[in-house]
Amino acid sequence: MDFAFTPEQEQLRQEVRDFIAENVTDSVRAEVEDAMDEGHGEEYMKLRAKIAERGWIGISFPKEYGGQDGSRIDQYIVEEELARVGVNVGLSGSGGPAILAAGTEEQKQYFIPRLIRGEVTFALGFTEPQAGADLAGLQTRAVRDGDDYIINGQKMYTSSAHYATHIYMMARTDPDAPKHKGISIFLFPMDTPGVTVRPLWTIQNDPPAPMGTTYGMGRTNETFFEDVRVPASSMLGEENMGWYVGAMGLNLDRVGASRYLISVRRDEDIVNWVKENEFDGHSPSEDPEVRDRIAEMWIEAQVCRLMTLRSMSIVEHGGNFTYEGSAEKVWAPEHGVRTTEGISQILGPYAQLLNGSIGAVEDGVFAHNLMGSFQSGINHGSVQVMRDQVARRGLGMPRG
Amino acid sequence: MAKDPVCGKDIDEEEARQQTGQTRFGAAEVDPQKGTRRFHNGTWFYFCGLECRSKFMASPDSFIGAGSS
Ligand SMILES: Cc1cc2nc3c(=O)[nH]c(=O)nc-3n(C[C@H](O)[C@H](O)[C@H](O)COP(=O)(O)OP(=O)(O)OC[C@H]3O[C@@H](n4cnc5c(N)ncnc54)[C@H](O)[C@@H]3O)c2cc1C
Repeated sequence: MDFAFTPEQEQLRQEVRDFIAENVTDSVRAEVEDAMDEGHGEEYMKLRAKIAERGWIGISFPKEYGGQDGSRIDQYIVEEELARVGVNVGLSGSGGPAILAAGTEEQKQYFIPRLIRGEVTFALGFTEPQAGADLAGLQTRAVRDGDDYIINGQKMYTSSAHYATHIYMMARTDPDAPKHKGISIFLFPMDTPGVTVRPLWTIQNDPPAPMGTTYGMGRTNETFFEDVRVPASSMLGEENMGWYVGAMGLNLDRVGASRYLISVRRDEDIVNWVKENEFDGHSPSEDPEVRDRIAEMWIEAQVCRLMTLRSMSIVEHGGNFTYEGSAEKVWAPEHGVRTTEGISQILGPYAQLLNGSIGAVEDGVFAHNLMGSFQSGINHGSVQVMRDQVARRGLGMPRG
Repeated sequence: MAKDPVCGKDIDEEEARQQTGQTRFGAAEVDPQKGTRRFHNGTWFYFCGLECRSKFMASPDSFIGAGSS
């Protein structure tokens, strides 16, 4: 077990930092962060192309699909540095790992290079009005009709449906089978006739979250599917095996630097803030209580990072990745909540002021993070569901 | 015309589905203020608003039979 990075890996990190200093200007950052609500703009795509030119996107994906056949740790280093300035180049959360693991050759050839180039992005269509934590109770149906399936149903919280090119969704293909066993996954373009999107506004919508907010998602969606006809070739994995493909995909999607950094960028921000500011000739970093609190948060943040690195290492070595991603998905968001609360105690009433208010600290970024931190404990698998997975997969307890 | 299974109001399905915009990559967008719907046990139900839809979702069986899809 060696926790150190190799000299080559340290050099790669420095190269990425130099690249950021040269290319990621404030205007690029502003656009990149707006992408959370509006999708990718021109500046982002240009930046992404420059990153891709260096071979830094999809490093661990096979060369035949546009990757580099490289190491996940290298990928982690690039992701970690870029995620710190809000640029997500990791393909965790993209659907890519599941397509690579379960897709047909045609799907891999089509989707993986396009995901790497940023030409395809998926909205995740799993949750339904009455199927969230109990996702296997989903009601959306897909009925076989010749070479096609016809899909009817409704999804909730399809977060990027308003700017995604495609949807990655679950539907019931066998209503008579036990609920985990009659589900399949489909991948198809958002402009398929019969798909309708309706906005849902979150607590971050008004006023809009400022730059640097890690959970600044102002809009998510309901998405309706009414007699949506898709070819059978749009199914990912085998018919009725969608539950297992989906769970494997979500698990793999949790591996990566961006998820860890969502929760710990706030720790880095507050450290910088207390060091850079002075009040009545004194820096808050001289205050023993502030130092103590921040040091405590920082120690917790390092646990997030180590958990992420462990997950990366297991996947890199082809090991059995069972409960580790779920454990991380409990620790990181809950740490994020503790941190934003701690920051709010350090900043006092100013921590409550949102973007646009007089007296808001750093345009209200800490206040917006305080509100947003709760989202991360719910989306992509709630912390309660994750604890259940740790109990089952990590500790061998029966299904509750 | 469909009936809201909760309050019994007539609902114009076309209006509930009426496209008011388009997402960046071409899906139809609808107005969040307009009536809404829900796919339940293989059938679409239409509602005058979110309040009726929420009541329905809390206890669908107590409303089915009162309205039509
Ligand atoms: C901002 C945001 C973005 C999202 N984006 C997406 C997306 O892009 N795609 C997508 O498919 N979904 C998305 N989701 C949905 C998210 O995955 C669900 O909200 C989540 O799975 C919980 O489902 P639910 O909201 O229906 O809550 P419920 O299932 O009603 O659960 C409510 C609470 O009770 C807890 N709970 C439920 N059952 C149990 C149990 N048996 N034991 C202990 N606790 C339990 C849950 O953990 C939760 O805290 C998003 C959610 C949010 C808030």
